[in-house]
Amino acid sequence: MVYLESIFKVLLVGLVLGAGLPALFAVGLVAFSNGAGVTDADGTTHSTNPVLKFLGLALFVLVGLVILTALLWITRSTIEHHFGINLFPFA
Amino acid sequence: MIILILLIATALAFDFTNGFHDTGNAMATSIATRALKPKTAVLLAGVLNLVGAFLSVEVALTVTTSVLKIQDSKSGTLLPNIDASTGLTIIFAGLIGGILWNLLTWLFGIPSSSSHALFGGLIGAGMAAIGLAGVNWSGVTQKVLIPAIAAPVIAGLVAACGTWLVYRITQKVMPKRREEGFRWGQIATASLVALSHGTNDAQKTMGVIALALITTGHLTGNVAEDGLPFWIIASCALAIGLGTYLGGWRVIRTLGKGLVEIESPQGLAAEASSAAIILSSSAAGMALSTTHVATGSILGSGVGKPGASVRWAVAGRMALAWLITLPAAGLVGALAFWISHFVAGMTTQLVGDGLIFLILVGLSGFMWWRAQQQKVDHNNVNADWDDSTNSVVPADLRESAEPKTAAV
Repeated sequence: MVYLESIFKVLLVGLVLGAGLPALFAVGLVAFSNGAGVTDADGTTHSTNPVLKFLGLALFVLVGLVILTALLWITRSTIEHHFGINLFPFA
Repeated sequence: MIILILLIATALAFDFTNGFHDTGNAMATSIATRALKPKTAVLLAGVLNLVGAFLSVEVALTVTTSVLKIQDSKSGTLLPNIDASTGLTIIFAGLIGGILWNLLTWLFGIPSSSSHALFGGLIGAGMAAIGLAGVNWSGVTQKVLIPAIAAPVIAGLVAACGTWLVYRITQKVMPKRREEGFRWGQIATASLVALSHGTNDAQKTMGVIALALITTGHLTGNVAEDGLPFWIIASCALAIGLGTYLGGWRVIRTLGKGLVEIESPQGLAAEASSAAIILSSSAAGMALSTTHVATGSILGSGVGKPGASVRWAVAGRMALAWLITLPAAGLVGALAFWISHFVAGMTTQLVGDGLIFLILVGLSGFMWWRAQQQKVDHNNVNADWDDSTNSVVPADLRESAEPKTAAV
């Protein structure tokens, strides 16, 4: 069953990118939010933490880069057709 | 020649209903969580569909050869047992089946698959014209039926995992900051879905127009080598972009409000799952219905969130619509072919095809008018869902309209 295989592939890629990236984004959000200082329900505040904040931003950028690469991968043949640039020479 | 122009116009009209029907796939969750204003959302989706249509032509090549057997699969030329005028009428009738089914489901606010409507229409018209042998059954099974069952399940699974993870990870983040952060993520992922929709669905119409031009000999069969004429790509991109911008508010409302009450973390997880699956499956050579994927994802985001509930009655109605989309659109396509063929037998082909075109315009106009009676637009798209009837029309609007017209 070739088809079962490609369904399985799509499921796998879907899980890694479709669920993994949101999770990564969520981790970034937690880091960024904690780094930006938290006010608890009882009113106590935690000081800001620039390292955590930076880590959060770095994770956001990473997620963005993965998406960008994936998009370029999909359009690679069109780009090569029109502009003659092979973006993924080693793939 | 007149028939060819009529056919291209009808194909673009189908493309338009396709965009219009599927705005919700990308933007329903962002509109429901108010991450984007409804008008902004449809504008963004429209532009991205336009851009997406230019990105790739892979799908256009497979659409026509894998559904109908009127082209030689190797050389792309017309099979000897079909003359050009029959070929044109088949495609024409198929498009009519697709458009009418799209409009009908839109009227009821059901997010059914535009691709299935198109394929169903073509299959029905093909069967009416040439019999069972006119349809590429193995192609239909592999490229239409199996993905149709698999897609919503995969999408639901991925979205459920994503939603669960996201809620788990961000448990301790301040609700306000969490909501804000995920809104941004949601806009990004929704944009991706709109883009992938353009790369997928605009292609289907391009394929149909290309097939019509091949049938009449205006285009050589070897599209893979020579590429598509620019005007086809541009006009299809424009049609789907405009359709998306107009926005099928009824479908948006069902997806965003009807299935589950969505929060922005769920929206992000659902759209991320949709985008990942649509894009990766087209890379793996699976032609998916974007609608099935989006709906599966939204359902999954409802299952994955602790404490959220899914309106299974609405989901069930949708699943039913999915099952009958292929045969129903096929029936309309076959009917259209028979009417045209019958009339053409007594008069000319132009009269036959002209007549089904007029029928199409008339029925579309009627459904448009019915929708205007109880209008769902950007103002009331987020109105509370009425659990007692599960109707797409908001309760207050339906009551005020009741004396004049029956409930839709």
